[in-house]
Amino acid sequence: MSTLEVTFVSADRTVWSGSAAQVVVPAADGSMGILPRMQPTLAILERGAVRIIGEDGEVTERAVDGGFVSMDRDVVTIAVDHADRATAAR
Amino acid sequence: MGAQQREYKKRITSAQGMKKIFKAKEMVAASRIAKAHARVLATTPYAEAITRAIGAVATHSADVEHPFLDQERSETGRAGILLITADRGMTGSYSHNAIRAAEELANHLIDEGKTPVLYVVGRKGETYYTFRNRPPVTAWTPFQESEIPALGHEIAQRLTGDLLSEDPEVHLDEAYLVGTRFLSRFRQVARATRLVPLEVVDAEAGAEAPSYPLYEFAPDAETVMDELIPRYLESRIVNLLMQSMASEHAATQRAMKTATDNAEQQIRKFTRLANSARQAEITQEISEIVGGADALSGSGRTER
Repeated sequence: MSTLEVTFVSADRTVWSGSAAQVVVPAADGSMGILPRMQPTLAILERGAVRIIGEDGEVTERAVDGGFVSMDRDVVTIAVDHADRATAAR
Repeated sequence: MGAQQREYKKRITSAQGMKKIFKAKEMVAASRIAKAHARVLATTPYAEAITRAIGAVATHSADVEHPFLDQERSETGRAGILLITADRGMTGSYSHNAIRAAEELANHLIDEGKTPVLYVVGRKGETYYTFRNRPPVTAWTPFQESEIPALGHEIAQRLTGDLLSEDPEVHLDEAYLVGTRFLSRFRQVARATRLVPLEVVDAEAGAEAPSYPLYEFAPDAETVMDELIPRYLESRIVNLLMQSMASEHAATQRAMKTATDNAEQQIRKFTRLANSARQAEITQEISEIVGGADALSGSGRTER
């Protein structure tokens, strides 16, 4: 079973990086789940919550407001303008 | 104490005071370089991600069109130059180098038959152009180091707006960035680069053409490009602002180091002069006493 290499960056820093089992992002046309071996994708993000589920099941959640995600050979790059610790969003 | 000695003492004291100030400024700048440089590095992953993404879109959908990708933009012949200078003085040649680079670019553009239009960040650049009766269209000044991301956003909005404007008085065909690249603590280079029309090249061009996989775009390539390009511009501008800030601190540190050294030299010089003046005074006093004593003994009197 392969894992995702995730790099989550905001305009001024790296928010999270490591390997994850699953990533859920708020794509422009609806919430999008990313699993290993997904086809290469480049998607625009909307306001919403990025959820990264680590290999050990640990969940990291951040509220984002616009950005994009690219998925390529299990390398996921999430770049957003701002990332805040998710509070209200679920 | 003689008048001359007093004069030297005064100069020494003032040089000592200045030395303290220069030293303090030097140390402040030195401590800020590291912080500013760290901030530059922190924005790099984001910039790389955007550049990669744009490259991916551009290589895989040759038919993607965006006004900023169009290489032949010539409507009004106006070319915007964003010049980044310092707000403060005491930065050595930092602002002048940036201004010189901007002037070279402007002359080059005039030779090509274009009209340079200036957008300036920092008070030094603003005063330079205002004094020469060529006031910049917009000047962002004064600016705070802590507000660079917000400032970058504002500048990017403004430039994007002007580039897309329909009004021939405002419309820009091209946009250039002039700022100072922070290569290292000891080397900063003022350079002009073209921002629009975009040249999508990877940072390490030539090494090996990166092969991008066939991406699936969500929602579609056009929308993705529309979203990415403003972000790309903004990240380029913010990155350059931060590099310029780091360079400003480095230039300040160097200038203040030189100033401190000069103050030390002044202190040494005036100390020497004060010493010889004191010695001269002592010598004169002694010779007066000796002369007086000689005169007395010559007169035949034994008592005082």
